[in-house]
Amino acid sequence: MSNIEQPVYLEEKLEEIYDSGRLDYRSKSFPTWCPGCGYFSIVEGMTTAMNNLSIDPDETVVVSGIGCASRFPFFVNTYGFHTLHGRALPVATGIKVANEKLTVIAVGGDGDAFAIGGAHIPHAARRNVDMTYILFDNGIYGLTKGQTSPTSVLGFKTSTSPFENHDAPLNPLMMLLSYGAAWVGQAYAGHPHHLAKMIEQALAHRGFSYLHVLSPCVTFDKTTKTYKNLGMSVRELPEGHDTGDIMAAMAQARITDTLALGCYFKELRPTLGDGLSDITRRAQGKEKDNLRKHDKPKKSRTNSATKVPRRRAAV
Amino acid sequence: MARAQKKSTDIQIAICGSAGDGTIAAGDILKRAMAKAGYKVIAFDVYPPEIRGFGKCISRVRISSEQTYSLKPLSDVLISLDDSHAIPHVVEVRDFGAVIYEDTPVSMVPEGAHISGHLLLTHLPYGVPFRELSEQVTSSARSRNIAAVGYLAGLYGMPRDVFYGVISDKFSAKPASLTQINIQAFDAAFEVGRDTFRLDEGHLNPPPSNARNGDLMMMSGNGAIVRGCMDAGLDAFFGYPITPATTIMERLASELPVKGKTMLQTEDEISAISATIGAGYAGVRAATATSGPGFALMSEMMGLGAMAEVPAVIFVSQRGGPSTGMPTQTEQSDLNIAVFGSAGDSQRVVLAPTNVEGCYKCAGKAFEIAERYQTPVIVLLDLYLSNRYEAVELPAKNPFKENCSKPVGKLKKDQTYHRFEITKDFISPRAIPGDKGYRHVVTGLEHDEKGRPRDQTHQKMSQKRHEKLLSVPRLPNINMSKRFGDKGKVDVAIIGWGSTFGEILEAMIVARTEGIRCAAMKVVLLSPLPLEPINALLNDSREVLVPELNYEGQFANMLTGATGRSVTRLNRVPGTPMHVQDILDEIRRLAGKKPGKAKGRKRLAAE
Ligand SMILES: Cc1ncc(C[n+]2csc(CCOP(=O)(O)OP(=O)(O)O)c2C)c(N)n1
Ligand code: SF4
Ligand SMILES: [Mg+2]
Repeated sequence: MSNIEQPVYLEEKLEEIYDSGRLDYRSKSFPTWCPGCGYFSIVEGMTTAMNNLSIDPDETVVVSGIGCASRFPFFVNTYGFHTLHGRALPVATGIKVANEKLTVIAVGGDGDAFAIGGAHIPHAARRNVDMTYILFDNGIYGLTKGQTSPTSVLGFKTSTSPFENHDAPLNPLMMLLSYGAAWVGQAYAGHPHHLAKMIEQALAHRGFSYLHVLSPCVTFDKTTKTYKNLGMSVRELPEGHDTGDIMAAMAQARITDTLALGCYFKELRPTLGDGLSDITRRAQGKEKDNLRKHDKPKKSRTNSATKVPRRRAAV
Repeated sequence: MARAQKKSTDIQIAICGSAGDGTIAAGDILKRAMAKAGYKVIAFDVYPPEIRGFGKCISRVRISSEQTYSLKPLSDVLISLDDSHAIPHVVEVRDFGAVIYEDTPVSMVPEGAHISGHLLLTHLPYGVPFRELSEQVTSSARSRNIAAVGYLAGLYGMPRDVFYGVISDKFSAKPASLTQINIQAFDAAFEVGRDTFRLDEGHLNPPPSNARNGDLMMMSGNGAIVRGCMDAGLDAFFGYPITPATTIMERLASELPVKGKTMLQTEDEISAISATIGAGYAGVRAATATSGPGFALMSEMMGLGAMAEVPAVIFVSQRGGPSTGMPTQTEQSDLNIAVFGSAGDSQRVVLAPTNVEGCYKCAGKAFEIAERYQTPVIVLLDLYLSNRYEAVELPAKNPFKENCSKPVGKLKKDQTYHRFEITKDFISPRAIPGDKGYRHVVTGLEHDEKGRPRDQTHQKMSQKRHEKLLSVPRLPNINMSKRFGDKGKVDVAIIGWGSTFGEILEAMIVARTEGIRCAAMKVVLLSPLPLEPINALLNDSREVLVPELNYEGQFANMLTGATGRSVTRLNRVPGTPMHVQDILDEIRRLAGKKPGKAKGRKRLAAE
């Protein structure tokens, strides 16, 4: 993970962008974000990852909720659905159920995910919907101009916590690990190369992959999750970290004074789509059994609830 | 049956017992057998919200040779399987009707607890030892309910073989001996009933020989919704359990996978509607079903469906509200939220079938409309309609169209796709994810024709979303409204919606026999209202009556708002269907005939 420390030069970057072909994955819309917002590097990371994986943009849907983060679908050149505050995951689940072939990516902010949308995350994770959820965590409500969020740090002063925030922040990584997410990782907007790699891994994973991206809100957070503070607290996962070991992943996720970047945990298990195919198989097998059972016997019909052939009453 | 004359049949049987007596099962056997025998049947069960314990169950079955539209307020026969529950219902038996009850010696029950002491002078008592009959032939009292049905069948001379078929179907999943035992209990009681003195009035005549030869199906409103969904090719259903909508989800859970389709139980109703909208956006036919409390949770997403122009079908079976209200009682009080409930001007289509057959048609049509108009379509039912059974005849050929989406044209070179293009009929050609070269973003933000967020387009796009729905009232192959009764000028017009229309029709038919010039109109399309036929009827009528099962007069308010015509309201919220008599009294009063007991009261208090 050497590129974490690698500085980025504009000239090199432009050259690289033109050469790579990943501009094809950028939409023509100019992002509405504040200059310096961490979210820009998530767009860069996403287009890089999609380009590297040669994902077909016509077969891809990016679904979002509401928030600064959720403006994301407008800036990538795929199909997009900008839904309601907190509802990206269930909408994305519906899309995936409707068309298993699509690459489905859900994005959103920390408020969108863990406040209003909190009820949906465990279920997308436990069902193992084959999609990628990228969470833009700035520890604040950006779009509504700087209120406290479920990941705001203790002591944070915002417009809704003028006397400091007293509500302990959630630990999203711990939550996702215990919800049964099949791929859990963390990246930092200040390390765009690593971020792009993590997005690539998350997209490539078959099953529900969750990438937590630490990203500063340069406009409304001048004190807590700034580039300076985050830059000092991020670290690599320990060498030899076993991504198959849920306890090791949780042990890392519990450490919050420093923040480890990388893939914490991954496992392959049946997805929602696999489950649905299995249900269909069983239903169709069972249906045949039923028919067999009802084929031979007496004068009675199949399925009691349905057809009643009209017969003259024997009176 | 020797005494059968060329007369029509119209009898109603009520079976009352406590949960665990097999009351509902007995009613089920009776209604299925009678439908099989070729009668028209309407049946409705009332059961307690609690699963355990000894709550009251009543099953009412109306058996007739002519089409009827509702249950009768008075039954011809009451069968008591539990006197403590049945006693209050004795007054719902007509004069010279029969009360059939367990022949327990009066000395064995506390004073006042025996039903025989509560019969009116005009009732015919039939004490029958159901328990003993069951025990004699099956050495268990468990078939007591079947014995009760057998006795009734014998009393009326009902055709026995149809009962055998229905009983063996009912127990087909159980060991064969159980079918045998129950048929024996049925037979034993049948013979006792046959040899009993019978009433002259209200006996069973053979079903009319002109009955059509199509297949009659005994089906509940929710069952018809399921059939409509399946015939319309529903691809994905998302739901969260809630009475009285749950049975739709349960049936689809076993039927959809057989066709390779999906039923997914979501974590809540917000998720259910979100996934439905997601699946609709991705281009398949998707639906959800709920009741008032769940529907309230869905309202924000309804607005997104309207704004982002995504097809979705939402079945809402109403129950008593607000809040958890009366979960096992019927009501029509979610009309406001169905038509208006969401942020902003959230245009949508609302359909309300009035009977079981209508449930089938509206369910299937809802998918066509949702797809064609790219908008959420709500189908409003209520507990009474969801759970009531009617013998219906469904079309032999699947009447529903497959793909009604407006297709996208070929794009010229360098031409970009405009998802929300304003066309002549205001409906935009629709591409779905996976279509090559039509990539776009849809959003709940106001947007321009390309789908890009823009506030300045709000006037124009609001107009688009409004105008595109204006042709819905004129869609073919479905009655968006229908007028019955007298043509031309009338003294009283009764306008209704949903399940209450059955009672309205019955009341109107009686009023006409009394010489009152009147007409009834059912309004199936509640948003956007079919104003042309409604106004035509209003212009024809001196008085307008709007009976509905809600306290605030939600439909009356809508009618007055849309037409400027003030109407007489009849609002009741007893949790049970409207009484035909109440409607009739109002019609008489408005027509200037001898005023009924509802004298001059505009709004009748709940019972
Ligand atoms: C139902 C609803 N409630 C509230 C809002 C207002 N709202 C919009 S975005 C937002 C918070 C966004 O915060 P977050 O999800 O962290 O995203 P960020 O802007 O920080 O990227 C809120 C409260 C809304 N749009 N919808
Ligand atoms: S308000 Fe904050 S989160 Fe939103 S765009 Fe600006 S910097 Fe980014
Ligand atoms: Mg945020």
